Amino acid sequence: MNERLGKIVLHVEGLSKVYGEGPTRLEALKPTTFDAVAGEVVAILGPSGSGKSTLLTIIGLINPPTTGSLMINGDDVIKNGQEVVNLTTVRRQQLGYVFQRSNLIPFLNGEENVRLALEIDGVPARESRDRARALLDSLGMGGRMKAMPSKLSGGEQQRVAIARAMIHQPSIVLADEPTAALDSSRGRQVMELFRDSAHANGAAVLVVTHDHRTLDLVDRVLEMEDGVLAEKGHTANTRQ
Amino acid sequence: MMDLAIRDVRQDLGRFILTAAGLGMLMSVVLAMTGIYNGMVVDATVLPDVYGGDLWVVQKDTQGPFAESSRVPSLLVDRIRAVPGVERTRAYATLNVQNQMPDGETLRFTLAGLSWPDDLGNSLPLEQGRALRQPHYEMVVDHALGLPLGATLEMGRDTYTVVGITSGMVSSGGDPLVFVSVSDTLRIQNDLANEALRLEREARVSRVRRSPYGRDPANLARAGAQGTLPATAPPPVTAVLVDLAPGQNVETVKASLSQWSDISVYTIEEERDLLVRGVIDRARRQIGLFRILLVVISAIVMGLIVYTMTVDKMLSLSLLKLLGAKRRVILRLILEESLLLGLFAYLVALLIGEVAFDLFPRRVLVEDMDRVALLGVIAGISVASGLVGLRKALSANPNEVLAS
Ligand SMILES: Nc1ncnc2c1ncn2[C@@H]1O[C@H](COP(=O)(O)OP(=O)(O)O)[C@@H](O)[C@H]1O
Ligand SMILES: [Mg+2]
Repeated sequence: MNERLGKIVLHVEGLSKVYGEGPTRLEALKPTTFDAVAGEVVAILGPSGSGKSTLLTIIGLINPPTTGSLMINGDDVIKNGQEVVNLTTVRRQQLGYVFQRSNLIPFLNGEENVRLALEIDGVPARESRDRARALLDSLGMGGRMKAMPSKLSGGEQQRVAIARAMIHQPSIVLADEPTAALDSSRGRQVMELFRDSAHANGAAVLVVTHDHRTLDLVDRVLEMEDGVLAEKGHTANTRQ
Repeated sequence: MMDLAIRDVRQDLGRFILTAAGLGMLMSVVLAMTGIYNGMVVDATVLPDVYGGDLWVVQKDTQGPFAESSRVPSLLVDRIRAVPGVERTRAYATLNVQNQMPDGETLRFTLAGLSWPDDLGNSLPLEQGRALRQPHYEMVVDHALGLPLGATLEMGRDTYTVVGITSGMVSSGGDPLVFVSVSDTLRIQNDLANEALRLEREARVSRVRRSPYGRDPANLARAGAQGTLPATAPPPVTAVLVDLAPGQNVETVKASLSQWSDISVYTIEEERDLLVRGVIDRARRQIGLFRILLVVISAIVMGLIVYTMTVDKMLSLSLLKLLGAKRRVILRLILEESLLLGLFAYLVALLIGEVAFDLFPRRVLVEDMDRVALLGVIAGISVASGLVGLRKALSANPNEVLAS
């Protein structure tokens, strides 16, 4: 268990996104306010084109919002649509990412891909290697960490990607359809990993998914429709 | 921080090595051009360098004996020796020869005369054998001619034997040199069954026949009695080499010789200058320009290669940015890879130089300074190419990871 558990790590307020202008103008994300706490897994459901990825990339600090504010661990990161700190540093230290595929750098093996997340933040090679090995081991990748990404199966790749997203103990992990390329049993395993890692590392995990059968593994479900995010309710897992 | 560049290179080592080898070959041509350029300058001045001599006396108003043909009376050798400050004079005679060998092959070489007995060729860079010991029928040939010790060559009406073999002795045109005594050179020149010479001789005979002496032998007898018969001079030589006594001022002696009305006088430095800035000037500039062109082409090719290598990595670069990698990480990846490529190409170029340049028919002279300069040029090209790649790399957008 982690001492961060239960604290609000992410607070977004009035966050919105407008793409284009004039006739092509599209409000992909209507002003949105919500929180996420350490240790919880939040599922985001919704039809294609409803704005799920837009929300995740804004929170992931790779897509600037049109309006709104964003706080991580109580610190302002974006205030009224303006970045107030160096986003690269926040991405490196506070965020972890997992996508549907192409998560891994093809010229680094599994262990190196995981180490990378530590080493770009100045963690020495020895320590980063030991930590990467321990984490991959705990994810059942102990025997495969020297394999190059192209030699890994889809499920193995996602486990390495999750390890990389978690290794530096970020406050928030963003996962955009991480199970879409996997069969249902592997998809379920990946969701279990998110749940366990979120609890172990004290991270809030926001995961976009279409697979309703894995919702029993998450703590909360949010639903997106036409850019509007709505709470669909806490699940049986919610610890409160 | 782990070394990303090395890992990327290792991922597709075959392609990297092929690319580096290709670039290396291009660079080896740059190196060859430098070597050919240097070799040309050295080759051009082999003759003045090997003969030495403080002053070269040639036919009036010519830039002989290398840049222009020159003929001076051989008596000049003795006349100049009497000039104050002169210690030694030597006759110099040279002749371009094409010799038909028994096997049908044509040997092309330049005959250079050694002033027997003052100069036996002891200063020549002998590889095998010895210098001349007899005033006639011996020759020292250059390695490039391909004749072994003891081989013989028919020239004019006589047969000459190889007694010594030199290395690197070529004329400014690149033909191997064959050293014989000056008198042999003159004899060969006279004897060569050369159509032009034969025709000239016939013309001379007919001129004499039409002269008063030829028309009436009585005239000849009368002239002989009065002592007005024109003297038959010994054949002219090409130039006279002057060595000064120790402590003599070159300019002073040159000034006094220059007052003679029938000759022009050059110092050895002036002779070298006439060769480098005159005889081989165009060829030298041609190669110099070609080398610049090659460097420009190499730079463009390498820039394109590094750009392509960067484009191939855009997804990884976007991912690095997404993970929050600092600019420095990306800068190092691109520049290091570019420099690695340059370094490999450089080593390949050196290797090709070691193996191949000796096989060239003419001298390819690559000095350490040239290798260092090439390394500098390649480093410059690598950095420039790296910056081209970096421009592209920094445009990587973390969003592209999602779009893929
Ligand atoms: N970069 C963009 N420029 C313009 N429109 C975009 C851009 N990205 C997404 N959109 C539009 O915004 C809407 C929401 O897209 P997205 O967030 O990707 O939805 P989801 O992930 O739920 O499928 C879609 O209509 C999409 O076409
Ligand atoms: Mg999406």
